Amino acid sequence: MMPATATERGAPLLEIEDLRVAVRGRTELEVLRGLSLRIWPGETLAVVGESGCGKSITSLSVMGLLPEALQQIGGQLRFAGTILPTGDNAAMRKVRGRRIGMVFQEPMSALNPVIRIGDQVAEVILEHEDISRAAAMERVVELLAQVGLPDPARLAHEYPHRLSGGQRQRVVIAMALACRPELLIADEPTTALDVTVQAQIMRLLKQLQKDLGIAILLITHNLGLVAQTADRVAVMYAGRAVEEADTITLFSAPRHPYTQGLLRATPRPGGRREGQLPLVEIPGMVPSIRQLFPGCRFEPRCTHASAVCRSIDPPSHTEGATRVQCHHPISTLEALS
Amino acid sequence: MNKIASSIAPLLRNWTLCIGVVLLVIIFGMAISASWVFPHDPYDMVGPPLSWPGAYEGMWLGTDSLGRDIAAGIFHGARVSLLVGFVSAAVAVVVGAIVGALAGYYGGVVDTVLMRITELFQTIPQFMLAIVLIAVLGPSIETIIVALGAVSWPTVARLVRGEFLVLRERAFVLSCVVMGMSDMRIIFAQILPNALSVISVMSTILVATAILMESALSFLGFGDPNVITWGTMIGMGRDQLRDAWYIIAIPGGALLITALALNLVGEGLNDALNPWLKKREA
Amino acid sequence: MTSLRRPFPWKFLITRLVHAVFTVLGIAIVAFLLLQLAPGDAAQALAGESGTADAEYLASLRAQMGLDRPIYEQLGAFLMRILRFDLGYSFRYGTDVASLIFSRMPATLLLMVSSILIALVGGLFFGITAARHVNRLPDRLISIFALLFYATPPFWIGLMMILIFSVQLGWAPTGGMINIVAGHTGFAAVLDIAHHLVLPALVQAFFYFAIYTRLVRTGMLEVLNLEYIRVARAKGISENRIAYRHALQNAVLPLVTVVGTNVGTILGGAVLTETVFSWPGVGRLMFDALFQRDLNLLLSILVISSIFVVIANLVVDLLYCVINPTVELR
Repeated sequence: MMPATATERGAPLLEIEDLRVAVRGRTELEVLRGLSLRIWPGETLAVVGESGCGKSITSLSVMGLLPEALQQIGGQLRFAGTILPTGDNAAMRKVRGRRIGMVFQEPMSALNPVIRIGDQVAEVILEHEDISRAAAMERVVELLAQVGLPDPARLAHEYPHRLSGGQRQRVVIAMALACRPELLIADEPTTALDVTVQAQIMRLLKQLQKDLGIAILLITHNLGLVAQTADRVAVMYAGRAVEEADTITLFSAPRHPYTQGLLRATPRPGGRREGQLPLVEIPGMVPSIRQLFPGCRFEPRCTHASAVCRSIDPPSHTEGATRVQCHHPISTLEALS
Repeated sequence: MNKIASSIAPLLRNWTLCIGVVLLVIIFGMAISASWVFPHDPYDMVGPPLSWPGAYEGMWLGTDSLGRDIAAGIFHGARVSLLVGFVSAAVAVVVGAIVGALAGYYGGVVDTVLMRITELFQTIPQFMLAIVLIAVLGPSIETIIVALGAVSWPTVARLVRGEFLVLRERAFVLSCVVMGMSDMRIIFAQILPNALSVISVMSTILVATAILMESALSFLGFGDPNVITWGTMIGMGRDQLRDAWYIIAIPGGALLITALALNLVGEGLNDALNPWLKKREA
Repeated sequence: MTSLRRPFPWKFLITRLVHAVFTVLGIAIVAFLLLQLAPGDAAQALAGESGTADAEYLASLRAQMGLDRPIYEQLGAFLMRILRFDLGYSFRYGTDVASLIFSRMPATLLLMVSSILIALVGGLFFGITAARHVNRLPDRLISIFALLFYATPPFWIGLMMILIFSVQLGWAPTGGMINIVAGHTGFAAVLDIAHHLVLPALVQAFFYFAIYTRLVRTGMLEVLNLEYIRVARAKGISENRIAYRHALQNAVLPLVTVVGTNVGTILGGAVLTETVFSWPGVGRLMFDALFQRDLNLLLSILVISSIFVVIANLVVDLLYCVINPTVELR
């Protein structure tokens, strides 16, 4: 399957352009340093990277829910052709839950313990749509059935503590999809769950995507999950997307040394013959946002680094079907060797 | 030298602690200097009755209906307030810490029995129990201290027990057990020091509460009749509320400032000793 | 997921009930020990230094208490007296002590319930406001006022309020519960009592208002940082609804328990408020009993008040079960 080009796909649903987020009052401490990403309608974009690279901050920026301590200082977010008013809480409330849904990492604490499940799901619908309570509750029961929960009519009257983690995550997904959003942000949706439940939840998300035609922004550090579910992948490092490509291209021909390092550090099912390359850890650590230097953030850990890497932060450019930010991208031949 | 300065600097930035400590030092100064500044008995008549503050020379806080110097009463009263407050809080802390430590460390039956007793004392209305104790034992500084200590220890016991429940699971306690250290040494030499920061914050509040309760007892007329206290002064001034309200307002203000100072110190200590609390709120 | 309605937490309640019975027993034992501490024999102490008791009453009391028998039998006899609510006769008031105390209960309850309500409503409102503007001006002002109210002796606030609102402004009566001279009936009488109630209820509320404000503030701050609040924001729920529907109920749960434990302290504080405002309740009765060195009346008030606290705590437990759906887990 050849990756479609931007013109073939039409306009992107969400376009993140040169997004900069910094510590409030300390603008030199940047958490996101000019992040650019695009998601097209109906596709799954996986955002991967080590913890602390800014994946979750990206999702919170899109929702306009940055913590008090952080501040957007540059760039823009364009959703379905219009600029997202991320600084305007009242305006963003009309987007959240209605046009963009979100699923979080911790299903055990994501539901309010003292409100019935049905009411928590109905709340989203009642907030965004002019609809009677009874009609909303009918929709809730349908939704709960749709996310595969047994006996949804009775479940709607239960409190969350009666449910298992996997069931709660299904409820959270039902809440996120209650108003049929165009985009679903799933921030590590299966990390806190058992392995068998993880697979069920991911299958559910893919099924719902097929049924409803929603785009999914999947934030994860699990490359195995990415290989199975994502259409395209963005690799984040120190607040930037250092490589963006369709899944097959990225896994078969990584361009950025960091991506290559990530892949070598992860055992993956399928795709490659086993034992071809030994598992290797990337030496060193993600630099702290307090370490200010002009060059490429990956340079201290990079085996390909040269003098230019130390002085100039590489700009984004296209190499075949891949967007990459590196002075010395790995050639296709090199990657396959 | 530099080291000391850098460890004190954050405490100075903690303005609640600073204000509280400064106020407390002033009140302690009043208590200590009372006998020199006002060598006469504060119950003596030293000026014309009911003279307003500043109206009669030398009586800068005025006199009450019997011509007693209010300033002298404030200075001498500070002694009683601080003495009763600190000693009864100390009694409560010692009793509460022992009960809480034993209950939290041993758990099981010991815990159940001790906590039932603690809850029992929390059920009986504190102030009423103090009143009955004083009625039975007779009013004096000592009995008031005993009575206030007897009603305040349960709070400490519950707090210390809670701390012990958490701390006894820590690795350092387990390693002490493995080393064969005696229970008493583990409880008092190993775990208790780790609970000291919470206990010290609570103690300041206990002192403030005890001072307020002592003043309430004296106000009702059941304080030690041999010493002057702020509560007694307010109680005796009640009849002049209409025409000479300063007689009540001044000792009341002294009480308020003392209790406030102790609470400020408590809050400041809390911020200084548990910095993560502050961070979580920010 | 077995039933639509959650099962009523019987086990929890029965445990609490057994608990309560033991507490009442403990209270009686404490009262007995206090009696042993008093000078003279127990009958003398109970009959009082008021000198109103005659020799015959003293003798019958001695026989009833079994003062010639061993101490545990005396304790048994004492417990039986309390269980039968046979608390002796007050010559001064010309009635038996139990009915004397119960006749004063309604006034105290009225004052207590109104002050708890004032403290709760004020504490909730200001606590939430402070939490939503954390570390900004409204929060700082509220925190300072809470600290002030917490540190002020309540009887002194009472006197100062009488000075300002009764003496200077003439807005409220200086004390008492009803205007006997006016002889109001019906609704006018209710209004009259309410008029007398305002100042003492406010004064008694201040301290607890301060406590509840701070509790609600910390509780809200804690809850507002939880994951389900973030989820609610991501659902597009309004900030008001998040504060009042999502955060409040969870923040209030610990408050309910605290109010329960405060009942005893409030009853104790009633001695002061009722004395300052001449409010004809149990607290004022206790002050008079102490003034007259009537140990029997003092002990009886202590015991009955404690039993009242036990009952109030049971009610609070029941309430807790109703508002907290997860209680069956405990």
